Amino acid sequence: MERILRINMTDRTATFEPVPDRYAHRAGRWLTSSIVHDEVPPTSHPLSPDNVVVFSPGVVTGTAAPTSSRISVGAKSPLTGTIKEANAGTGWGGRLARLGIRAIVVEGMASGDDWWLVKVSQDEGRFEPADEWSGIKLSEAYASIYERYGGVEAIDVCAIGVAGEQRMAAAGVCFSDREGRASRYAGRGGIGAVLGSKRLKAIIVDDSGAEGVSIADQALFDEGRKKVADALMSHDITKPKGALNTYGTAVLVNIINEAGALPTRNFREGRFDGAEKIAGEAIFDGNKERTGSELYNHPCSPGCIIACSNVWHREDGSEHTSCIEYESDWALGANCGIDDLDAIAEMNQLCNEYGLDTIEMGGTIAVAMEGGVAAFGDAQRAIELLHEVGEATPRGRILGNGAVVTGRAYGVERVPHVKGQNMPAYEPRAIKGIGMTYATTPMGADHTAGYTIAPEILGVSEKLDPLDPDKASVAKGFQEATAFIDSTGHCLFIAFAILDIESGFEGMIDECNGVLGTNWDADDVTRIGGEILALERAFNRKAGFTNVHDRLPAFMESEPLPPHDAVWDISDAELDKVSE
Amino acid sequence: MQVEVRRFASLVREGVPGRAGEPAQVELPPSATIDDLLETLELRREEVHLVMVNGRTVSCGDHVLGDGDRVGLFPPVGGG
Ligand code: SF4
Repeated sequence: MERILRINMTDRTATFEPVPDRYAHRAGRWLTSSIVHDEVPPTSHPLSPDNVVVFSPGVVTGTAAPTSSRISVGAKSPLTGTIKEANAGTGWGGRLARLGIRAIVVEGMASGDDWWLVKVSQDEGRFEPADEWSGIKLSEAYASIYERYGGVEAIDVCAIGVAGEQRMAAAGVCFSDREGRASRYAGRGGIGAVLGSKRLKAIIVDDSGAEGVSIADQALFDEGRKKVADALMSHDITKPKGALNTYGTAVLVNIINEAGALPTRNFREGRFDGAEKIAGEAIFDGNKERTGSELYNHPCSPGCIIACSNVWHREDGSEHTSCIEYESDWALGANCGIDDLDAIAEMNQLCNEYGLDTIEMGGTIAVAMEGGVAAFGDAQRAIELLHEVGEATPRGRILGNGAVVTGRAYGVERVPHVKGQNMPAYEPRAIKGIGMTYATTPMGADHTAGYTIAPEILGVSEKLDPLDPDKASVAKGFQEATAFIDSTGHCLFIAFAILDIESGFEGMIDECNGVLGTNWDADDVTRIGGEILALERAFNRKAGFTNVHDRLPAFMESEPLPPHDAVWDISDAELDKVSE
Repeated sequence: MQVEVRRFASLVREGVPGRAGEPAQVELPPSATIDDLLETLELRREEVHLVMVNGRTVSCGDHVLGDGDRVGLFPPVGGG
């Protein structure tokens, strides 16, 4: 039977309850946003006992559907003040789904100074003391937790690092990868700080005895998953030894740079002279040189066909960090003027160890550099600054609270953010559609909320001119489709294949219908996506957000961005069409 | 005339000097097109998914190149 596990931190109880009828068919982002919308007072403080953290695996998570082991995490964000959903690929979500747990809702707040771990299994959620894992690096905490609770085969781990413990707004929620590394993040929006405020250090899931996900129509489901798998296996971006499997997501560095849209030195320029040195191709070549063999990437979570997750190796061939994603590579690299992969790897690893969102931290260090704290390109100083965050020094606390707080502390005007969240790795002045997504998504500046880069740059689904301003309907359509995919439990990267291969798109819908016994078609994808966005916007409105917040920072309207010398020139009326 | 060409990802392969993104000067006759360039480089049209000239995507092979153009050649790539 499908159930919700309510973890009450105030009285330290964990109770199973049935999934209410109104949430039937809701999972992933649809369910996290529904519960946050229904249970959190919109004007409450994100670090108060009134906030909740909701975890929900998607509709097909935990099944044999390919590339579907995602977990959505929702809350009111301490970074943006808006509703938030962030998701990660990890076996943790699959185990939860196989236990029949549609969602975990963490509510209330523990009194006292103790940290807690909750072990979730078939029959209970058990509270255990977790003080011994606080204040240490996450890789050490994970190793010790695995040792205590049965190893990588038995459990998956979700935890916060010291940044979350210190309730910093750039703190992410860390999940285990397939090998048990502390490396897969529901990174954005500071949800790690919300868990920290509740004094919940970790949740581990043991799925022994689980009955598995119940499937209403097995034949339809199987047909669907085969169509999705075929699409993933045949598309050049997603197939084995294809672009993602070979070069990882950082294969984007060069193409976005070539398009003049790679934000460089805190969004001053659109091209970085060191781009090729930090790109996915350089990661592949560097690993080959250092390990003596061609390394293809690995799945972050069980059942992923695309397998885009990399490991960067030190000169002696030992593992330095996993995973150098495009976003992290750019944020800690080009955006800070740093062109040294070993330095980027070290910063990436420090973010993993301290429990930080790499995008927000790269953006924050760039803003700090703008404010004179360090010179652009000074990797050594940037590494020291990250250590300060991990040590929670006064300066570290400023940085750990993100780019807007840092900009204010150091008197910086050029803070590229929307609703308090630093922009990711695509310059909106040079790619108009993604700027419209940044401005209008309920999440604050977030590329994954409506990835118009696919048609605007990558020529996936169609080829659009990135500088063409007429993108309102594209941005809206992508946001709706994304909200749906985020609810299926599939990794968003399946979109590269299923936007080009129609049977793959049908397959995704068949899989959902197979699991749920529904009759959805392509129109329902848009309808459900639209409903999710409407829920999220309703929450934001009640929290005090209006159209005025759906705007990019003013400096982008006046400062031309080289090499195209483009400014942000989308009218307010055009932006408002996206959220109409 | 000369154009400055950068090849990326799987378009960089054995036998071709240089790394991904390393600029190479390619000598072409005046008013050469993208198709002419690909032929000179022995690249098949199907494997080149995107061509950028001076940072803008160019869709047709008969696009005429100019002296000093910066050309980027990409296979299908994606990420996030
Ligand atoms: S495509 Fe990459 S990020 Fe997505 S689930 Fe697979 S390995 Fe993880």
